[in-house]
Amino acid sequence: MTSKNFKRFTLSVAGLFIAVSSFAQLRLPAGYYWKQLPNGLQVVVIENSKVPLATIEIAVKNGSFTEDSVYNGLSHLFEHMFFKANKDYPTQELLLKRTQELGAIWNGTTGDERVNYFFTFDRDSLNAGLRFLNAAIRFPIYRIEDMQKERVVVDGEFQRAESNPGFQLDFEVRKRLWTDQFTRKNPIGIHNIINTATPEKMMVIKNKYYFPNNSLLTICGDVHHEEAFAMAEKIFGDWQSSGFDPIQKFPIPAFKPLTKNDYFIKESSIAQTPFMDFSWQGPSYLTDSAATIAADVFSTIVGLNSSKLQQALIDKGLASSVSLSYQTSKYVGPITIFVVPNPNKVKECYAELMNQLSMFDNADYYTDDQLADAKAILLRDDMRAKEKPSSLPSQVSYDWCSTSLNYYTDNTDDYQKITRTDIKRYLETYITGKAYVAGIIIAPDLNKTVNAASFFVAK
Amino acid sequence: MKKYVFTLLIAAAFGNIKTAQAQQKAYDFMVDGVKVIVQPSGNDIVEVQTIIKGGVANYPVEKQGIEALAMRGLTECGTLKHDKNSFKDALDKLDASVYGFAGKDFSVIRMNCIKSDVNSVWPLYTEAITEPKFDTAEFKRIKQDALNGLKATDSQPDAAIDKLATKVAFAGRDYAKQPQGTAEDITALTADETKAYYHSILTKSHIFIVVVGDLDRAVIEAKVHDMLSTIKQGRPFELKKSFFRVYNNSFTAESRDLATNYVEGVTSGPELDAPDFYAFQMAISIFYDRHFLDIRTKNGLSYAPQVFFASGTVSTAKFRVSTTMPNKYIAVFDKLVDSTKKHGFNAGELANMKTTFLTGFYYKNETNAAQASSIAANEVLHGDWKKSLTLMDNIKKVTVEDINNAFIKYIGNIVWVYQGDPKKVDPVLFKNGTLHNADNPVSN
Repeated sequence: MTSKNFKRFTLSVAGLFIAVSSFAQLRLPAGYYWKQLPNGLQVVVIENSKVPLATIEIAVKNGSFTEDSVYNGLSHLFEHMFFKANKDYPTQELLLKRTQELGAIWNGTTGDERVNYFFTFDRDSLNAGLRFLNAAIRFPIYRIEDMQKERVVVDGEFQRAESNPGFQLDFEVRKRLWTDQFTRKNPIGIHNIINTATPEKMMVIKNKYYFPNNSLLTICGDVHHEEAFAMAEKIFGDWQSSGFDPIQKFPIPAFKPLTKNDYFIKESSIAQTPFMDFSWQGPSYLTDSAATIAADVFSTIVGLNSSKLQQALIDKGLASSVSLSYQTSKYVGPITIFVVPNPNKVKECYAELMNQLSMFDNADYYTDDQLADAKAILLRDDMRAKEKPSSLPSQVSYDWCSTSLNYYTDNTDDYQKITRTDIKRYLETYITGKAYVAGIIIAPDLNKTVNAASFFVAK
Repeated sequence: MKKYVFTLLIAAAFGNIKTAQAQQKAYDFMVDGVKVIVQPSGNDIVEVQTIIKGGVANYPVEKQGIEALAMRGLTECGTLKHDKNSFKDALDKLDASVYGFAGKDFSVIRMNCIKSDVNSVWPLYTEAITEPKFDTAEFKRIKQDALNGLKATDSQPDAAIDKLATKVAFAGRDYAKQPQGTAEDITALTADETKAYYHSILTKSHIFIVVVGDLDRAVIEAKVHDMLSTIKQGRPFELKKSFFRVYNNSFTAESRDLATNYVEGVTSGPELDAPDFYAFQMAISIFYDRHFLDIRTKNGLSYAPQVFFASGTVSTAKFRVSTTMPNKYIAVFDKLVDSTKKHGFNAGELANMKTTFLTGFYYKNETNAAQASSIAANEVLHGDWKKSLTLMDNIKKVTVEDINNAFIKYIGNIVWVYQGDPKKVDPVLFKNGTLHNADNPVSN
């Protein structure tokens, strides 16, 4: 549900400041159009007539990054309640019926730094679809009985996730990686907070974040930008601005850096094969956008079959898969190495991974050809990312929330500018010698043989 | 990038065999006795799929997993011209994908690349298909990876419950075979027998090729001709279809230490050439909406109430939920089925679903890969790839009477399976079935 494979940026901090302070500097790909309404709502129209459909999306700068322990998980519940009832469709039955009349394919997502709602339908339904979206985002109705039912549904989504060993591992890693600010990186929330949520809490969220000046409307598909802008202005133009920037008024606390390595072993009967996760606190777009780009290039390098990492672990049969990723974030994104080890060689796999980590920063850890190949891959990835028109709004809004529109536009070109020096700085700033969290989830029976505690420990 | 996102819905169900039409017209032609279907795409991406028909009917139960392992081996065990690493490195340089995977009814060997790279990637694709080496050391490695993959899949509750449903519902049929195999069967497979097996199914009579991309016909023809030059004709292929009928409601539970419980039911669906095939497709899609409304909206019983029509050589309808209240779920489900049989669907629901299908028709085919998959499925299952383009013509003809009849005809007794806490569920409630106020195809 997020954007294309990685993330985007502007290479210099100076350039970044220009980008966010002046819309005159706004850059967009061909066929993309931007307008800001007087109430602060930004509207992007993407003309793409590949199929006779239109996709509309509204994205709000909300999500777990805005949540303390009293509200953790409620951006997500709010997202569910969006589809429950509003002044035009006072019950969910009527609301769902309307989506069926529109022939809409729809969904909503909640992440760390974005909540978005999107609908795809026949291009001729654009005006009706925008009116539907307007009613849902501006005029929701929160009934206690509706909330009681939806709380169970959202908690059921949580329980589904908890039934998955990958989630269990990731959840524990996040707790330890973000420590006292864990809630800010935990969109699924806390069971008790979800199960006791009230309409009053929904209104608190609405009155903090759900304003046009904190939202992006994207219209994509077989549409004309001037008509689409006119519709957006007519329908959303009287949505009142909050008069304040919610993120400035309710600032996000700083994440406390990890001070030492933190290892854990989680035994679980549902983990039929073990998984390992190693995570660091990575760069923030706000303070080090250049490193966010270098991170993607390096992740791509070590994903190459020819890379030292893949050769040492996959080619030698120590693991079935190993990947390095960075999640582009405005407020400290995680860097993660995820490994599916060969269950017969868990110890050897771990030892080799540690060996590889110790070499990441060596000048010969990758070749110039591999750097060039990674850049070529990222170029082609961009072509693939733009193949599916209905996915474009979500890609744009991810960057609008976590980086900037210019970052989205310049991303692929910026990958091409990355040098060895950029990658070295990224590694030295965020990975090499830096504290991390390491977790393994393993079935109790297998662990009797593996005895993870004998080697999977901080040194 | 890792995805830290929670969604309102899990994937909604749409028919699984459709394609877009807002492009230049698709066409087909024969090359050396093999059908080639081409859909021009209007973009810079090229998707090629070589389809090997047969699926689980190709191998005995004790060899399940062999076709999937063969598919994996095509690109992971080297070719006669390249060792595994040089093969994969060459693909990496072009960010191209070449890989195979096995399904119930057919296997697919895919190639996806940027158009300007076709002349470099297609020779590698040809090598993988016609000259796989199945190097012994690499084969040992991919066997271990396959075993890990099996266990990882079994750790995913949705996959695990579907696997159990398949095992129970199709016991004694080809469809009970798991394309990915079992640990025991995979462990016993050798590189030599897998290679021999692969060459036994790679015959002109069992394959066809789909190309979605803007390539000249002459270019495609030459490349396919080259690819086919070493492939033998083989014996004629016959698609084996059968009707799935459930004679009694049943309930099978497995204890699993999960945070919730998973329930799946399997019942009949129309055969591929049945006159009510599309009517049932519509009926089950409308029932998905009703099921969602009753199970999630009105009763808050599940985040993920799913209903889908799994069409194949054995077609079924499936119902799946994760729930902490399985007994309440089955009570609501039974009432809903009974009410639907008694009162039927209405014209408004059908009209809306036709509109939704039109959206879905285009939506699912915004990518070349999805179009190729749709064309391939229609060609294998219906013997007519053009049905991927004419889906809406068939949908438009469906009446309310058609969907009501189809629902009553196929939604009968159900094979239920369950994974989670056995103490939370009463098997009798699942075995009781619906209220029997309407006809079932088979009575208890």
